[in-house]
Amino acid sequence: MTNIAEKISPGDKLIAELELNQDSLTGSDVIRSTRRNALKSFSKQGLPARKSEEYKYSPVNRLFQKELSFVTASPVSDEKENSFALAGLDASVIRILNGVVHIPVSGFDSATCAAWSLKSLPKEELSFFENHFAHYALPDTDPFIALNTAAFQDVLIIKIADGAALAKPILIQNITDSTHASFTQPRIFIHVGKNASVEIIEQFASTKKEYATVCNAVSEIVVESGAKALFYKLQNDCAGLQLISTTQVYQHHDSHFDTHTVTFSGSWTRNNLNIVPDGEHCETHLNGLFILNEEQHTDNHTLVDHRKPNCESNQLYRGILKNKSTGVFNGKIYVRPDAQKTNAYQSSKNMLLSDDASMYTKPQLEIYADDVKCSHGSSTGQIDEEALFYLRARGISADSARILLMQAFAKDVVNTIRIEPLRKEIELLIEKRLAN
Amino acid sequence: MLSIKNLKAGIEDKEILKGFNLEVKAGEVHAIMGPNGSGKSTLASVLAGREDYAVTDGSVQFLKKDLLEMSPEDRAREGLFLAFQYPVEIPGVSNINFLKTALAEIRQYKGLPPMEAKDFLKRVKEKQALVELQVSLANRSVNEGFSGGEKKRNEIFQMAMLEPVLAILDETDSGLDIDALRIVANGVNKLRAPERAFIVITHYQRLLEYIVPDFVHVMYNGRIVKSGTKELALELEEKGYDWIKKELGETIEA
Amino acid sequence: MAKENQILEEITGGEYKYGFSTDIETETAAIGLSEDTIRFISNKKQEPSWMLEARLKAYRYWLTLEEPKHWPHLSYPTINYQDIIYYAAPKKQQQLSSLNEVDPELLRTFEKLGISLEEQKRLSGVQSTIAIDAVIDSVSVKTTFKETLAEKGIIFCSFSEAVQEHPELVKQYMGSMVPYTDNFFAALNAAVFSDGSFCYIPKGVRCPMELSTYFRINTSGTGQFERTLIIADEGSYVSYLEGCTAPMRDENQLHAAVVEIVAQKNAEVKYSTVQNWYPGDKNGKGGIYNFVTKRGICAGDNSKISWTQVETGSAITWKYPSVILKGNNSVGEFYSVAVTNNKQQADTGTKMTHLGKNTRSTIVSKGISAGFSNNSYRGLVRIAKGASNARNHSQCDSLLMSDTCGAHTFPYIEIKDKSAIVEHEATTSKIGEDQLFYCRQRGIDAEKAVALIVNGYCKEVLNQLPMEFAVEAQKLLAVSLEGSVG
Repeated sequence: MTNIAEKISPGDKLIAELELNQDSLTGSDVIRSTRRNALKSFSKQGLPARKSEEYKYSPVNRLFQKELSFVTASPVSDEKENSFALAGLDASVIRILNGVVHIPVSGFDSATCAAWSLKSLPKEELSFFENHFAHYALPDTDPFIALNTAAFQDVLIIKIADGAALAKPILIQNITDSTHASFTQPRIFIHVGKNASVEIIEQFASTKKEYATVCNAVSEIVVESGAKALFYKLQNDCAGLQLISTTQVYQHHDSHFDTHTVTFSGSWTRNNLNIVPDGEHCETHLNGLFILNEEQHTDNHTLVDHRKPNCESNQLYRGILKNKSTGVFNGKIYVRPDAQKTNAYQSSKNMLLSDDASMYTKPQLEIYADDVKCSHGSSTGQIDEEALFYLRARGISADSARILLMQAFAKDVVNTIRIEPLRKEIELLIEKRLAN
Repeated sequence: MLSIKNLKAGIEDKEILKGFNLEVKAGEVHAIMGPNGSGKSTLASVLAGREDYAVTDGSVQFLKKDLLEMSPEDRAREGLFLAFQYPVEIPGVSNINFLKTALAEIRQYKGLPPMEAKDFLKRVKEKQALVELQVSLANRSVNEGFSGGEKKRNEIFQMAMLEPVLAILDETDSGLDIDALRIVANGVNKLRAPERAFIVITHYQRLLEYIVPDFVHVMYNGRIVKSGTKELALELEEKGYDWIKKELGETIEA
Repeated sequence: MAKENQILEEITGGEYKYGFSTDIETETAAIGLSEDTIRFISNKKQEPSWMLEARLKAYRYWLTLEEPKHWPHLSYPTINYQDIIYYAAPKKQQQLSSLNEVDPELLRTFEKLGISLEEQKRLSGVQSTIAIDAVIDSVSVKTTFKETLAEKGIIFCSFSEAVQEHPELVKQYMGSMVPYTDNFFAALNAAVFSDGSFCYIPKGVRCPMELSTYFRINTSGTGQFERTLIIADEGSYVSYLEGCTAPMRDENQLHAAVVEIVAQKNAEVKYSTVQNWYPGDKNGKGGIYNFVTKRGICAGDNSKISWTQVETGSAITWKYPSVILKGNNSVGEFYSVAVTNNKQQADTGTKMTHLGKNTRSTIVSKGISAGFSNNSYRGLVRIAKGASNARNHSQCDSLLMSDTCGAHTFPYIEIKDKSAIVEHEATTSKIGEDQLFYCRQRGIDAEKAVALIVNGYCKEVLNQLPMEFAVEAQKLLAVSLEGSVG
């Protein structure tokens, strides 16, 4: 086996395939030119090298050992999709299957909220979309953003009207279903109008765990002034999935963005959560919870880029690691010279339950303004033996006591989930995951 | 000694002192009373030179010098002392080092050599006894881990150490129990002297039972609305601040 | 107390006090770096061939490396390594046995720096005496108290002398903590190092006095590449101090040192640095580029290595004193104050590598940035698999004194053992306005108030320093922050 193809790096292979496909991919002239530039950007960056500081604890080479193909199989049947439903949750559901958007006919009130796939986007909305698309998640800042921007098949576009207050949450089911080692590129753009308020759940799932499928998702979210957006990312039922998920958020003044990243399954997960509060009096909350077992790998990468004065951001991450799992928390608070009176806080706490588990933490502060209050705290340890003993002394078995304490540990994050059925579902999942 | 004429000052765009007048002579004790928000603490802050407040009109002469032209430290060096309502904690800076530095700076300003270590320590001991402040000052940082009462006693102790010409006590009685109040008042009384004046800012009359003032002024809405002797304080205690407000309302209406 | 007061009294002029240069006859190597330069240095020192071989090996390896510019939070023009003189020595330098043989000009230089090379015992007794190895440019000019120390079996001499007199110890330990392959600057140092200090404390000996090295760069256009090796044998104790200054020059001078420490079973080494290299002027012109690799290994059980540093000088500081906690129950400590003002840049911190069981490490870092400077803490805490019951606590605080400077924290925490408990806390804030006002109300001017508050803020670290150094450090803090209050 000494043919030339063997010697080409996985990154170059992707580039070659994309170059061939460029003409067949969808989009207006503007979008196609964005695609081409993104491809150029990826060609320049390549896949993150082993020494890359940004991917230091999550080397990506193992994701690309198998030959991956951008061509995806046809989507699964409706029946299968429904198995991912969340009990008791009354939501407007949109599905993205292998990166292709499926909008239901009903379920959206067009006066307050509209959702389109790229193909169904009305002509009069095109320039609005073009003015935002790829303006926040910049291809030059990360090779996977570049890849997605060059290779996406479709875009889910959600537009919340100014002043709208959505009664029902929107549930986006991002499903990967493939019969071979594929590489999908789901893409989402959400625009929350001025003073609007919305709750969105993005659920990642996959149907088959035996294929080394890689999903490279990119979402751009714009929160206009005075708007409030709650965004939940739930990674469950995606055993075997290798996921790179980038969420890029841009906040206008007086807006509120509150997000949760809950990771239970997926063999390899990298969450990039980049938030730019670019107006005064923004409030931002980043919460995260992961419970890992077997050989799972989860890397939560956050960046809050404070650019304007008088903003507040809060990060709260909790992780429980079992078996041979690996967890990473890399959080950065960036305060630019203009962002006086910034209040930024970050907390990352982790519990290691096995000798074979590893936790890497890199909480960073980069501060260029003087009148600020920024702090972070991080700790890694085990179950508090004192507390364990106390519970046992009250007649609770060691196992139940442990689970109780771990639930209490996760509670910091769970309690901040505002959608009741979702919180209940997550509480159930936690119990299940901790028990086995 | 101190002459405040038509002083107007405020924070940001809000005017708090609205034409305040006061004359203080050496040896006198003036009490300034008034309801919350009348501008008592603002007056103390403006006199001490807190930069958050902007003076928009009026003048303040202290020992025939323009007080408002001076930096906070020069005011202190000229002999103006403020006992803070909320003394700040300064971690890592020992009380002794802090006082020694302050004393040396004040002495240097007056052209005096630094105090001999021996004399300094003697004075510390003596003045500590004055306010029954038993905490070890050498090992502890300024106000750090002090109880509310200890903080206030520490303020009076510092006053005793620095021997000011004019001492302003900003609600020194707030948060003190009766025993601590007596100790603090006792400390102040021992420092009363013909060449020294006091401005005692307080909400309640009870402190004035211990520190007997020569004059009592009632402050309301940024200026003194009534002045009298110590009996005025008793009258206030009896009738409450509403009495003043009512009386004022009547004059305004009339 | 009296001293603290004295310090504050002394703060008047704001200029770098050690910026003078001494006019002494100097012998230098030709400018630039090649195998010939290395042979020249080795020849000057009449080194055995194994030493020359080790240097050449390091040099050849260095040639394959790139300067580490991608990860530190520093920016500076590319250093031209061919534009540096790698060896400069005062001419009269010979084997010196008595003080009288040292060039009087040199003695005056050190006197001016406040360093006495005379072995006068102080009234308080031998306990508070400091033995000094004085290094000027590339060579050690004088080591004091050698004989007194020798009585206890302590070896304290220049590195060059150790190569001649104690080759077995040098061979055994040199490069064992910081191999030449470690990093770019360590490789460069291993190739061209010219001198430094060597210290061996025999089994069970408590070193009766502080040992110290004073580094002085004097000659223009030179780099200083010294190497320090401290070996604390079983059950021994030593406290080691390091100080440094350089003349004020418009050029940037390179200082790339290596310090290695080994602590055997039950041994304890305390290493303190007050770094005051010339920081450059207000506009960032001139100043020392300080790229230093310091590492200690707690080789034996119950051993302890403690680093304390007060970094106020240098245009650029790149330095991560580290501890490898190999022995069971071993302890590593890192206490740091780093002050940057004007255009200074510092990227400094530590690495604590926990390998043995029941190991403990403590990190306390206080960064103070003023002017247009950038100050970064970068630290790694690694708990290896099997390093059971490891404990680490890190506290990194940053104080910002202006709205044009930067304060950054980059901690890396890697945990592979479930019984580890690792805690990291960091804060960034500006100096308290209410604290400043309180001080000023008591008659203390703003500049002194800042010095007072900053000293208080750094207390936890300053307390770790031996008395003489603590006084020096407090002075430095005040001086380096002068002009930083608006």
